[in-house]
Amino acid sequence: MRTTVAQYYPGDSPIHRLDPRAKFVAVTALAVALFLRDSFAGLAVFAVAGVVAYVLSGVPAAWFWRAFRPLLWLVGLTFLAQMLFGPSDQAFASWWVFHISREGLAFAAFLSLRLLVLVLIGSVLTLTTQPLALTDGLAWLGRPLRKLRVPTDELALMVTIALRFIPTLLVEVDQIMRAQRARGADFGSGGPVRRARALVPVLTPLFVLSFRRADELALAMEARCYQPGIVRTRLHPLKAGTADAVLLALTAAVIVLGLLI
Amino acid sequence: MSGEAPATRGAADAAGTARGMALECRAVGFSYEEAQAPIPALRDVSFALAGGRSLALLGASGSGKSTLLQIVRGLDAPEAGAVLLDGVGAAQAAGAGAGAAGGAGGTGEAGYAALQKQVGLVFQTPELQLFASSAREDVAFGPSRLGWPDDEVAAAVEEALELVGLPPERFGDRHPYALSGGEQRRLALAGVLAMRPRLLLLDEPFVSLDPATRRELARILSRLRADGVTLVLATHDVDLAWSLCDELLMLDAGRVAAAGPWDLGAAGRELLAASRLREPFLVELWRRLGRDPREAPRTYAEAAEALA
Repeated sequence: MRTTVAQYYPGDSPIHRLDPRAKFVAVTALAVALFLRDSFAGLAVFAVAGVVAYVLSGVPAAWFWRAFRPLLWLVGLTFLAQMLFGPSDQAFASWWVFHISREGLAFAAFLSLRLLVLVLIGSVLTLTTQPLALTDGLAWLGRPLRKLRVPTDELALMVTIALRFIPTLLVEVDQIMRAQRARGADFGSGGPVRRARALVPVLTPLFVLSFRRADELALAMEARCYQPGIVRTRLHPLKAGTADAVLLALTAAVIVLGLLI
Repeated sequence: MSGEAPATRGAADAAGTARGMALECRAVGFSYEEAQAPIPALRDVSFALAGGRSLALLGASGSGKSTLLQIVRGLDAPEAGAVLLDGVGAAQAAGAGAGAAGGAGGTGEAGYAALQKQVGLVFQTPELQLFASSAREDVAFGPSRLGWPDDEVAAAVEEALELVGLPPERFGDRHPYALSGGEQRRLALAGVLAMRPRLLLLDEPFVSLDPATRRELARILSRLRADGVTLVLATHDVDLAWSLCDELLMLDAGRVAAAGPWDLGAAGRELLAASRLREPFLVELWRRLGRDPREAPRTYAEAAEALA
């Protein structure tokens, strides 16, 4: 099954082995730094860091392309808007409210490249980190919020369960659609209204099934003594090591270099 | 609802057309696309089943039974080989003229598609497919997609509900989700039977049913068999398979391990064991009584008669 949800590319590269918390902190810091600096030189530093991470991750280019493709129209739109609505005083081509200037072009290129670098760095994180590991990491990073009575562990558990059930439900949707197709349902033809109506025989069983599953899961968790609000230990506690320290140190170095250059 | 050719119905009903559809698979191959590499599910699967005969499709979990049934119904296209319905294949129907299409009542691809619509497929846990707000409405979904006139659809619905033991006057207006598990299973079966299939494929129909519902379902299937519908029954229940099916097809990791009439001598027993199955109870009984297991009776009634 092709899904855009399960973006993770299974692998065992140095990037895959890093602690999800370290990766998340590094990517967030880089993203913020990326927007603090507006010079091509600074951008180049972050781009190089992103490309190095991409090469180290061992993820095929096609997988990155899949992450980029849906964003290309956004990049294109940004470029066009910045190019056409640049400052008017030094424009070498003007028409009505549109002015194309060197500055405008440069700024458009800069913004588009910045967006691309951002997607590249973000993709390295999502492609090399299992969604569940990422949730675990976020729950850990959110721990201080528990002092403010934010139920971070419960939120993390909810996200974990939701992620866990997406592939299961996709398989079941596929089965239900096949069963209805075997009964003559046609999902591919007709206008939007007809197509939406054709989905009723799929969505009704899907909702019923989801509620039943949720109910069963809640009962099963209770039977295994799940209690909200208490501290739970983990079977596989997150462990940060030397490599993660190196990552954070390198990230700090890249950010300083990118901001100063 | 859709513009279905009336010929579809004609072929199923017309006097003179055999009720049961003949099925033949020629070197069928199929694999599932996965992220890393395709996983082969069926390899070089060939067998033939005459119209009106019943076939037990046996094999361990993951041996390709469900995949084969879905390919026969046309939900997936085989990557290699061909599925012939009443002797007509997809490519053949597309290329050849009226002569080849024969009893299909049509020619070309439309003829093959019309044949595929006479194949009923009952999924594993088919109660998942129930969606309408009344039993009658849910059963009517399939036949109304075939473009039958309203009175014909209504008649087919009543007949199917009656056949599965859910009398329409009692169950017709009930909400599908208000029925018990066994009733839901039978209602889902009625939804397929209302389309008057000439070839009925069932994927593990006995799973998670209580013994009484099991017997009830077996009774419905033997009635369909007596009516001349061709049956393919994928199951792990060898006793029911033995009592209901004339022939067997055993799959092992996507390949045919055995095909044809039951052979329950020593070799056949080993084959069953390789698929984590045991021999049918009546066959074992006959063997232990020192009789020829190949002549074991199919039903308890036959056994009682033979032993009396």
